[in-house]
Amino acid sequence: MLVLTRKMGEVVTIGDSIRIKVVEMKGNQVRLGIEAPGDMRIYREEIYLKVQRENQLAADWALGDLENAVNFMGGVTKE
Amino acid sequence: MKIATTRFGEIEVDDNKIIAMPDGMLGFADKRFVMLNPEKHAPFCWLQSVETPALSFVVIDARRAFSDYQVALTAEESERLALDRQGEIIVLLVVTLSQDPTKITANLQGPVVLNPARLIAKQVVLEGGKFSARQPLFASQQEPAPAANGG
Repeated sequence: MLVLTRKMGEVVTIGDSIRIKVVEMKGNQVRLGIEAPGDMRIYREEIYLKVQRENQLAADWALGDLENAVNFMGGVTKE
Repeated sequence: MKIATTRFGEIEVDDNKIIAMPDGMLGFADKRFVMLNPEKHAPFCWLQSVETPALSFVVIDARRAFSDYQVALTAEESERLALDRQGEIIVLLVVTLSQDPTKITANLQGPVVLNPARLIAKQVVLEGGKFSARQPLFASQQEPAPAANGG
């Protein structure tokens, strides 16, 4: 991992089009301003990990639970 | 081709029905899946790994579960899905089952987007607090989910 030291207001650039600026430092929190091309997705790592964890939970299922769900749904919706 | 599955035994699937997921499902290495939608389990479908018999996900078409829910793809994601400008997509929500049906949830934060014309799919992660990874599926009958506008 590349480790850089930056002061308040300083910027790190990644390639030609991504800039990350230290906007605010308060206690153990750092606020970052990120400039990236158009619609590129930028997210906190926790969200990515949350989806990954949810996948793991979702992959562990039993056929009986699915049958229960279908029966339950049959009672709730009328399609 | 014949596919071994833990839950459904051996199944026969057309070679041209295999869905490529070049980026896999997050946390899993498998890259090829088939979608199975047996009538008796409607509206649920399964996304079954071709490579790992035990790996399968229960999914539901987002339009059926949360009619307001929409995913806006980034240019990068559209490209990854080999999507044409007017190309149609199918958004699938991964369902986390539970023994108690009222505890069944759908993952609105990490939908699986399928390009049905090319059979390429990708799990997309949406930023923002308005999408829950554990949205109760049946509560949606009363309370529509917020519309998703992507990143």
